[in-house]
Amino acid sequence: MTGAGRGVVRVEGLVKTFVDEGRGEVRAVDGIDFTCRPGEIFGLLGANGAGKTTTLRVLSTILAPTEGRAVVDGHDVVRTPEAVRRSLGFHSASTALYPRLTARETLEFFAAVNGYPAHLVEARVEALMERFGIAAWADARVDNLSSGMKQKVSIARTVAHDPPVLIFDEPSVGLDVMSALELRGLIAELRDQGKTILLSTHIMTEAERLCDRIAILHRGRILGEGTLDELRSATSLHYLEDIFVHLVRGSA
Amino acid sequence: MNSVLLPVLLYPVLLWVEITALTFVTGLSERTPARIALVDPPPAHEALLDTMSGRGAALEHARGLSPALERLDAGDLDAVVRFTPSLGEEALLADNFRAEIHYDRALERSRRARDRVDDAVSAYRDAWLGRETEALGIQPGSLEPFDVEMRNVSTGEDVGAALLSLMIPMFLVIAVALGCLVPAIDTTAGERERGTWETLLSTGASRGSIVTAKYLYVASFGAMAGVLNATAMTVVLGPVMAPLQSLQGGGPALAVSLSATTWLMMVLGAAALALFFAAAMMLLAGFAHTFKDGQAMVTPVFYLALIPLVLGQQSDRTLTPALAAIPVANVAMMIRDAIRGVFLWPMIAETLLVSGALVALCLRLARSTLGYEDFLLGAHRGGFWSFARDRMRRGRGAAPAGTEAG
Amino acid sequence: MRGGTIGVLLRHELRMLMRDTRMLLITFGVPVVVFPALIFLMRNVESREEQRLERTVFRYAVSPELDADARSLLRRVVEAGVPRDAGVEAGAVEAARPAEARNDATFRGDPTAPPPMPARFEESTDTSDTDVLVAPDPGDARTLRLAYRADDDFSRAAASELRDRLARVRNELRDSILSAAGLPVAPERVAAVESVNVATPEREGGALLGLMLMPFVLLLLLTGGSIAAVDTLSGEKERGTLETLLTTAATRHDIVRAKQLAIALLGFGLVIVNAANLLAYVVLGVVPLPESLALSLAPFDLVLIVLLLAPLTALTASALLLLSGRTSSYRDYQVAFFPLLLVFLAPALASMLPGMELRSAVAFAPVTGIGVAIRELAVGERDFPFLAIAFLSTALPALWISRLTERALSTERLIEPARARGTDAPPGHAHPSMLFPRHVLRWFALMWAAFFTVSLWLGESLELREQVVLNLVVVFGGGSLLMIRRYRLPWRETLALRRPPALAWIAVLIGAPAGYVTGIGIASLVDAFLFPVPEGVLEAFGDVMLGAELPLWQLLLFLAVLPGVLEEIAFRGVLLHGLSRRLHPLVLCLAVGAVFGLFHVSLFRIVPTAYLGTLLAAVVVLTGSIWPAMAWHALNNAIALVPAHMGWVGVDTRLPAWSYAVAVLALVASWTLLTGGHPRRHAALQGRDT
Repeated sequence: MTGAGRGVVRVEGLVKTFVDEGRGEVRAVDGIDFTCRPGEIFGLLGANGAGKTTTLRVLSTILAPTEGRAVVDGHDVVRTPEAVRRSLGFHSASTALYPRLTARETLEFFAAVNGYPAHLVEARVEALMERFGIAAWADARVDNLSSGMKQKVSIARTVAHDPPVLIFDEPSVGLDVMSALELRGLIAELRDQGKTILLSTHIMTEAERLCDRIAILHRGRILGEGTLDELRSATSLHYLEDIFVHLVRGSA
Repeated sequence: MNSVLLPVLLYPVLLWVEITALTFVTGLSERTPARIALVDPPPAHEALLDTMSGRGAALEHARGLSPALERLDAGDLDAVVRFTPSLGEEALLADNFRAEIHYDRALERSRRARDRVDDAVSAYRDAWLGRETEALGIQPGSLEPFDVEMRNVSTGEDVGAALLSLMIPMFLVIAVALGCLVPAIDTTAGERERGTWETLLSTGASRGSIVTAKYLYVASFGAMAGVLNATAMTVVLGPVMAPLQSLQGGGPALAVSLSATTWLMMVLGAAALALFFAAAMMLLAGFAHTFKDGQAMVTPVFYLALIPLVLGQQSDRTLTPALAAIPVANVAMMIRDAIRGVFLWPMIAETLLVSGALVALCLRLARSTLGYEDFLLGAHRGGFWSFARDRMRRGRGAAPAGTEAG
Repeated sequence: MRGGTIGVLLRHELRMLMRDTRMLLITFGVPVVVFPALIFLMRNVESREEQRLERTVFRYAVSPELDADARSLLRRVVEAGVPRDAGVEAGAVEAARPAEARNDATFRGDPTAPPPMPARFEESTDTSDTDVLVAPDPGDARTLRLAYRADDDFSRAAASELRDRLARVRNELRDSILSAAGLPVAPERVAAVESVNVATPEREGGALLGLMLMPFVLLLLLTGGSIAAVDTLSGEKERGTLETLLTTAATRHDIVRAKQLAIALLGFGLVIVNAANLLAYVVLGVVPLPESLALSLAPFDLVLIVLLLAPLTALTASALLLLSGRTSSYRDYQVAFFPLLLVFLAPALASMLPGMELRSAVAFAPVTGIGVAIRELAVGERDFPFLAIAFLSTALPALWISRLTERALSTERLIEPARARGTDAPPGHAHPSMLFPRHVLRWFALMWAAFFTVSLWLGESLELREQVVLNLVVVFGGGSLLMIRRYRLPWRETLALRRPPALAWIAVLIGAPAGYVTGIGIASLVDAFLFPVPEGVLEAFGDVMLGAELPLWQLLLFLAVLPGVLEEIAFRGVLLHGLSRRLHPLVLCLAVGAVFGLFHVSLFRIVPTAYLGTLLAAVVVLTGSIWPAMAWHALNNAIALVPAHMGWVGVDTRLPAWSYAVAVLALVASWTLLTGGHPRRHAALQGRDT
């Protein structure tokens, strides 16, 4: 499939199965398709175990698809995984920071290892620290930072190498209300800069407020996709939570 | 499954490697002829050359000594033998000669070649002397007015016991220390790391019972590990020594077994050691927040287990009052004596007393440490020694936290 | 770009390692402090021990049955006080008491002698407080018997000292008889031998250094490298930073390389620190060198030694990293580390055995080859072709392990299956037989350990039939049954109990003798070029096989039929079935053969037995049935037994060269019969799961 332009994420017929020792074959993702474009926040909404994390992991090349195809920024995840990762910033609850590095060293490392031009790294890191408001803690070790600060450093390192595509897997997990709000602001800002952003969440308000388009995932399948208005008109319901429950119950 | 599989497989595999390597080396050395150059071999003693070839020597004749020695140095030869006719008194015997074996003591091959030549010449010499004495009319029997025979009255059990007494004590101490190590760290630092420490502290059980349970768990694990490993070694020792013995030419069949009392002593000793190591290790590791830090903090205690190794093992030493006062070493010595069937009850009592005192000390320290809140909550960053220093600096001023570590 | 990324990663790894000060202190600092203390203590103890031995007075006792001549002889020996020429004074041998105290039947020691030995010796035969008892041999009045206790150092020393002195006196007597009779020269002056050592002190020092070098370096590489290794994968997994790393643009290859380099650097760092430490002690005199040695190495040899350490470092680094990759927490790593250490140390210690030569099969053994190579280099022997072989033999496994680690980073096991379990998908029920392919080798490893331990232990005390029953029926038969029951394997399919094509039987009749003859050929080749067999081992083997005084039909039953049935069930049945899904048919046969070979523990039997095993596996795969293989195996063993038993051939009988050629042709014919025009029915050939 040609013509996947800059910053476009396209998934076609994606299937991912695991072989679990005790239970045999498990189909975590059972055939999904979607496309996200630059300047858009695309949300994957679903309960735990719906297949959101698995999908995002396939997109970030940590897992290989069993069937189907995924293309990120024009690069196929199976054929050119390094190129995919260079164009991608991946953030999830399980991507931790190195405790013994300082904030500055963390940002420098991730910029450098992702291929950011060496002579520009220092300036980039300074700019990042300004933007995220962590300049005062630049030389403190990460494990001495508060969890809010850690979150900011984590987001900063995700965008350190200025990738066109960003993936956030349940980003506001464990955050208090104010921090979550701040986080949403940051993500919206990134969208305004023209990044392609994929977000997975199970928090309805977050999906409502932040995402431009939403796909509802259940048992590895997309039950409904579109902007909030499109979903509302398709189901004749107003609140996202009701829409979600309606679609899930309907699929059973 | 792997943690069970590994130890069970490990010892047989290692044993197999040992036996195979030995067999290989023996075969190799048997098969490789020694390359020997002869300078001026005595023409009257052709038979000597045959004897040498018969003992695995590949012979060649060399023109002169220096070129041969050069080749020896270069590694093309294993030994050079220069024969000279005897001089002076020695020449009184017709055709007597001297042989000079030049060899390289640093090389195993060369040493073997030298041995083969020496054996061959000795055999030849004996035959020659036999002929001479016969010619002189002496009965062969009368040359040897008496014969000497060595007879070992120790049974296989005695030898086995001696061997065991050398190896088991050291082994037991190390096995107990190793056995206590991982559980001790896991149950303190590991709990903190996993986040279950606070969960435990907030349950209905009293602090004292939690700590006691952990302590007993670690100590029994360590004691069991020690006894199991020592038993395994006892059981394996016979087969381990057997191939070595058979390849070296036999000896009394090693019979290895332990009497019930000895076994009991071993268990007792293992228990005493385990109680000590568990207490010390848990005390130190309790300050760590991750398994890794815990291990680093505990390592010095582990070095204590090496004491018996350092003090050496002499065959006739037994427990003395002085020795019985040294921790860890005294238990090792007690077990050693037990294996040799020696039970010096006063010394044993002293050993147990000293060990008991040490354990009591550790437990006392642990008890008071548990009373401090910053230890419980993990707010103190640093190890046992910095904690102790802090406490001493603050003197008796800071009272322990309200809750009793009973 | 590649080098750049690895550089960034490496710097990152090292930076993190250097910041773990406590661990660094323990690993690098403590040895520097502790080792001198240990060495000092040990030397102290040693020198006190030496002094003790020197001041010892051995006590001997004399049996009342000893006649007057013997007693005077003993007195002469004792009072002569012949000094030992080696300069080691083990102590004067003194009479416990002159004759008057020797009138009773029991033997007492000198009452003023040092404190008595522990009471336990009273139970031993006829000894009490003495170290040696001298008595006449009951059978031969001329022989003096010295009774001693082998488990007592002093007793042994006393006995050998006394024996040496007696031997010397006897020689004196003999010499005097001979010279009186007219022998012109004293016996030891006949064909006198003198040994001249041409080795320089440097060479001897090199020999010692070379011996210790590799195990020392290996131990430090492993312990030092571990500090890095544990943090670098299992630690990262624990902390969650591995996933972060894996989502960066770095390739798996780069990540693995950078981590291996970090491990290698730390390991090597520890080597340097400790070597410098040791060198300092030598120079300062804390650790003295034996006098006849000097330490010096030609620069070229030193360079070669360092070069040889490179694949060793690579191997340890990649093995440690793989271990770290396979464990998912620091604790698990620690538990698995000790066995890994032993697995490396065993071949390292094997390289220290006297008699190891590089120019032999040893060069092909990883780790051991390097050790032997270094030993030879340290004495100045440079055998370049075999040095290269040793280098590669360790380097190639390092590369392979590295490849495995890269693959481990790409598997889904990183993301715990627990996440998969979290899905709402209905739980499937995996049949236990699905697990079997993954577990089969572990079971066979266990069986091997059992088999080996039993034969080592009970091998001496069991009679042939009992051994066969124990090994074949209990271990193989029982093990197979257990596996089939536990994994609920379909036993008809597992054991390939189908009717074979008719031609297969003819193939067996032709093939079995051919296989046997070619097997002998292979065994001879192995013996000549790879693993020379010591005489003693060959004889022992022959004795076991033929020495049992059993009627022929029993020999055939126990050594041909039973193995033919039970070993086939275990290896070509269960094992073949277990491995058949994962391996290409050719590799499968070789693998089954190899495992079968390993069960025949003796080195020289492994290769020929593996060959037989491969043939048998091929038979099963090609015919889809186990029965021909059983027949082949039984026939093979019968051919080995019958002619020898009947005395038609002896141990030294050699087959003529043409017989091998005929055998090869017969094998080819057999193969044709097996493959020609028949449906291949074994699962292995029916296509495997991807």
